[in-house]
Amino acid sequence: MVFSSWRPIKQAMERAGFMKFWIFIPLIFLTLFFPFFLSQYWLHVMIISLFYVMMASSWNLIAGYTGQISFAHAAFAGVGAYVSGMLAVNMGIPAWLGILIGTSIAGLLGLGLGYLCIRMGGIYLSLTTLGFSEILRIIITNEDRWTRGTMGLQIPGFFIEYSKMSYYFLFLIVSVFFLWVIYRLIHSEMGLSFRAVLNDELAASSSGIDTIRVRILAFTISSAMAGMAGGLYGHYLMLITPDIPSLGQMFLVLAMAVIGGMGSFIGPILGAFILEILSEYIRIYGEYHVLLFGLVALGMARFAPEGIMGLLEKRWRLRKIS
Amino acid sequence: MRRVAFLVVLVMSFIIGSLAFAQETIKIGVVGPRTGPAAATGKAFEEGIAIALDHINAKGGVLGKKLEVVFEDTGGVPEKAASAFEKLATRDRVPIVVGESHSSSALAEIEVANRYKVPFIICEAWHDDITKKNYRWVFRAGPVNSGVVDFYIAPFVKENGFKKVAIVRENSDWGVGIAERTEFNMKNFGLPFVTLKVERESKDFYTELTKLKGENPDIILAYIYGTGLHFFVAQAHEVGVTPKALILDGAGPPSLWDSFWKNVGKAGELELFMSSMHEKVHLTPTSRKFWEDYKKKFGKDPSDYKTRSIYNVVLIAADAINRARSTTNEALVEALEKTNLEVTTGIVKFGLKVGSYEYHQWMPPMLVVQWQDQKQVVVFPKEAATGGLKRGK
Amino acid sequence: MAEFLMYLTNGLVMGVINAISAIGVSLVVGIMRVINFAHGELYIFAGYFSYHLSLTFGLSPILAMPLSVIFVFLMGILMERFLIRPTYGDEMYSLIITFVLSIILQNIALLIFGPYPNKPPTLISGATSLFGLFHYGNQRLLSFIISIAILLSVFYLIKRTWFGKSVRAISQDREMASLMGIDHLKINMLSFGLGAALAGAAGVIIAPIFPVTPTGSSAISLTAFVVVVLGGMGSLKGCVVGGLILGILENLGAAYISTMYRHIFGFIILILVLVFRPWGLFGQRT
Repeated sequence: MVFSSWRPIKQAMERAGFMKFWIFIPLIFLTLFFPFFLSQYWLHVMIISLFYVMMASSWNLIAGYTGQISFAHAAFAGVGAYVSGMLAVNMGIPAWLGILIGTSIAGLLGLGLGYLCIRMGGIYLSLTTLGFSEILRIIITNEDRWTRGTMGLQIPGFFIEYSKMSYYFLFLIVSVFFLWVIYRLIHSEMGLSFRAVLNDELAASSSGIDTIRVRILAFTISSAMAGMAGGLYGHYLMLITPDIPSLGQMFLVLAMAVIGGMGSFIGPILGAFILEILSEYIRIYGEYHVLLFGLVALGMARFAPEGIMGLLEKRWRLRKIS
Repeated sequence: MRRVAFLVVLVMSFIIGSLAFAQETIKIGVVGPRTGPAAATGKAFEEGIAIALDHINAKGGVLGKKLEVVFEDTGGVPEKAASAFEKLATRDRVPIVVGESHSSSALAEIEVANRYKVPFIICEAWHDDITKKNYRWVFRAGPVNSGVVDFYIAPFVKENGFKKVAIVRENSDWGVGIAERTEFNMKNFGLPFVTLKVERESKDFYTELTKLKGENPDIILAYIYGTGLHFFVAQAHEVGVTPKALILDGAGPPSLWDSFWKNVGKAGELELFMSSMHEKVHLTPTSRKFWEDYKKKFGKDPSDYKTRSIYNVVLIAADAINRARSTTNEALVEALEKTNLEVTTGIVKFGLKVGSYEYHQWMPPMLVVQWQDQKQVVVFPKEAATGGLKRGK
Repeated sequence: MAEFLMYLTNGLVMGVINAISAIGVSLVVGIMRVINFAHGELYIFAGYFSYHLSLTFGLSPILAMPLSVIFVFLMGILMERFLIRPTYGDEMYSLIITFVLSIILQNIALLIFGPYPNKPPTLISGATSLFGLFHYGNQRLLSFIISIAILLSVFYLIKRTWFGKSVRAISQDREMASLMGIDHLKINMLSFGLGAALAGAAGVIIAPIFPVTPTGSSAISLTAFVVVVLGGMGSLKGCVVGGLILGILENLGAAYISTMYRHIFGFIILILVLVFRPWGLFGQRT
């Protein structure tokens, strides 16, 4: 199944022109062999980056491709983490099953939330998702008898024996799966309607596209993905806290998509890796990485809304012309 | 072509970055809140570490090499704490980690310590479970909730004839744990008590204080850690609960921070707090040396007892490495179990009884101190007292 | 009974302050279709300015408070001119920009002012006996009076002055209004500034009672947004009614049901409004 998409990917890359296909071979090779030469510390950074790849790409699906700015993405990750975690701790449910259940619940909540406020337009969606995110965090924080609130809940890992390499490959496989799903979606007929809706909603709806249904579907898929990412994240850290469904995490995801390039496929992937690795370096000096990313994201949104990908594309195009 | 070269350089720097360099120093790890609401503790740790390093390196360091410390910030929250410990274990590859002042953070860190099998000596996280879990790699040279309550807070309450006890506790691991132990003791004494819960990081206690007023306690055990305690003390005065009742700060440091008097004003008079340090109470020569060297280095008396707590555990760690003549974890644990070291608060000997919180635990003696005319007066235990308990009207 | 009246009074006082805060948001939404996510941060910055002007620089609170509001007004003007105006028309980007700005401001507040709660000095202390039934803080009563005065001034501004008329004209039909000679860009900027100033006003009024912290801004923004949705976007009357309803419900809920969930009541209201009457109490049915 993956290989049937291989050629279109290759064609798309070559069409885009800015990344030669053969650059990717060493990159893929590296990615597969990271666990064998990276230290435990850097492997950990890679795993966290992959988590953010999942989050940023799935957020980009609704924000970049359908123009709906949801602030509940981190909250859905929290749903996945806490549902799966609490099921594991209280009922001994294995992690893989718990994560699937968490994903479904996140998806359902996304469906409900989407249905409620997508009809009303962008501002309402943003406000409601903001409210939903904060309320979820408050509930998780206060119901400490079940969730242990800010004290944190220790949950079992995904694998019985702890091995960073296993987690790395798990995250890698799921990330690639997400990216594949997203790629198929945006290049499908439905994907065309996403972009039609984004570019001109009036025209889209007059040509018969049920814009509301399209957006609700995208929102549901995106929330489910966030739920799965959150579940995996929780079982990797083996400690979940209300920091996961927080606006601070939401901001990081948003910044990664914006800086990487909203509405592009590779943008969020780039943004996730760059920001996560950078924050490790900056943390040596103190907790300034959030402020720095905020300023960069602000600058990008203001002056270069297509993000790094947009800038790269422009430079490549200019070079091709001259 | 340029792009490939760039990629190769990137990969090479990853590889190089993950290799360990040969060191002429030995680094141990410290975890503590350098940012966040308890950042004052982080500052106290820094001071204690500085003095410890002076003393240790003056005596030739550790295994003939200079001792250095990598101090990772926990922000006072468990997720950062776990991440900080993991960094020390995987990035810095320290042989041993010491420190911590939050029970929730410590409970998260001991799991990481267990996973990576890195010895961890805790100095100021009081929850019983930290040692009750009996993790081989975890030691504590500091107070434990049950010890603090059973040997100090409860007897203090009983011996001074308080009639009605109010327990106000924050919803943190420490708060819940220490409150439960207190209730247990009060039940055994047959003393009437009432327990109120407050939110961690809360700033407004009017509702709870109004309820308390109706209960008419004469002693309020405030298990609130952070500036929240300041607001609690100030507001208790505004509402009129004090000075009729006395407040005991169950942790201690918040009553010693610089901001305390600024935030509570005259409400701080007669407030009680736990401590393990007082200028007139020197249990060992090390304690006196610490006091003098602190004064020389920082130009003031040490005020926050956590400067001494971290000093103690750094000493213990260095001593263990020296006696083990190695930095491998197994050797260190064996050496730690045989510790017999004089520190500022006594002679450290870790308990070895499996199955209780006394495993790998050593508890220093503590004091109950009262602010009288903005001076610290030790009022309990009687053997260490420098003055009598004053009541309010 | 006395307790109930006290909670009700608390609700009214908080409600009026909510209204001021919400008008700041509603004004901007009404004419610019922009939600200012950095609303809560402007509120706390005003509180911090008030604290430092009074305590670090020794100004009298009577001077410190309006000065803080002016600083925040200027912040709003700068925000509009350099960040919002270029994205005008693109709803998505203005959302992103104000959200990112709110995170930036929160972190700056943490960096400059520190994580501890800051409480500017109160103007009056002590308490008065209300209805002979309970004691109520004087500072809270004063806040109530000041808030009412501000609300009346805002209404006067919108209904009677030329500025207000321009604002209403623009919110109804921007093209028409600019054809009629109204400098809509300048009005945009002033309205945004006014919105910021109102956030700041609410901040300086409340800070002496509930100290400001860098993380408290999200709750404030959220409350304002709920009031705006409840009252109806663009409706000032709605802000007042919505603010009062929310204030009273939150306080009664916190007192009789649970203090920890005080913000949930607002969210429940938000959901109910969206399900049954999305345009709010006084909003326009689009």
